[in-house]
Amino acid sequence: MSARFLAFNAALLTFVLSQGAPAMASESVWSGLVMANNVPEPTPIPAELNSLEATLKKLFGYNQFQVIGESRKTLKTGEEDWLATSKYFSLHVDSKAAKRSSYVLTLQLFQEQKLLLETKTKLSKSSPLVIKGPQVGDGQLVLLVVIE
Amino acid sequence: MKTFEEKWTAWLDGQLTGKELVEFEASLPDKAAAELERQDAHKLGAFLKEHLEAPAMTNEEFFHHQLRGQIERESASEGRPAEAPEARETWWSIGRLLWTGAASLAIFCVCTYFVITGDNNPGGQSTYLTQIINARVDPAVSPNATISIFESKENRVTVLWVDGLQSLPSEYAAK
Repeated sequence: MSARFLAFNAALLTFVLSQGAPAMASESVWSGLVMANNVPEPTPIPAELNSLEATLKKLFGYNQFQVIGESRKTLKTGEEDWLATSKYFSLHVDSKAAKRSSYVLTLQLFQEQKLLLETKTKLSKSSPLVIKGPQVGDGQLVLLVVIE
Repeated sequence: MKTFEEKWTAWLDGQLTGKELVEFEASLPDKAAAELERQDAHKLGAFLKEHLEAPAMTNEEFFHHQLRGQIERESASEGRPAEAPEARETWWSIGRLLWTGAASLAIFCVCTYFVITGDNNPGGQSTYLTQIINARVDPAVSPNATISIFESKENRVTVLWVDGLQSLPSEYAAK
């Protein structure tokens, strides 16, 4: 009985401690600058956006989504920063580890040197973040951040 | 003070003496009849002592007597409800108490955790969805910009919808 009791308490302690521990930094975050527009013959959606294709089309009403800048960062400590860039835009991401497989990210969208948008988010695994950016020509700049 | 019956019994047994004996015999209405009655009582007593003694039992009879007595006692005890054992066992043994306490503690920890973390969610957003803590645009660059936040349940997508940003020419779509 005492062995089982000790095992039960050990499991309980592990559960309690695991809830308070920061997320394990073994995940990678994909950040992308995506240009959405309508064309007669759309190119296939990039692999990173496959699971979001229907949602993106429904949200923005465009039939083509092309990645114009991206970055894939493997988080080791959970407290890192990186940059996804295109010719004119850059998305700066600064991460802080949070609890339960999530990260607090500070995102800054620059048009060249000009800060267009800044946001702080708590990014959860399996819950992508989609940001509607500025209108570009006849299309739309969309920012995506996904924990893979 | 003794009653007449007490004095009569004591007189029959020959226990009255002295002045008390003289006064009692003087109070008897018919002393000859009383004497006769006393002699009959003595005879009866002697007869009973002689003939009503407990008969001596042989070894076999004594054994049977003991056996019958034991059977009667056991039969009587079977008819009564069984007495409660001295150390009455209960469901709450030490082991079960410990298990119950540990399980209660576990339930308390889990409930407390979910209550506490549930209170920390800004705007009541689910902890499983990405949450927008804050968002801003530079009013000097985009004075008419508006920000809204919503969730798309299909892929558990959190959307930061910014309207009113300055439109840019199509060459800005270059990689």
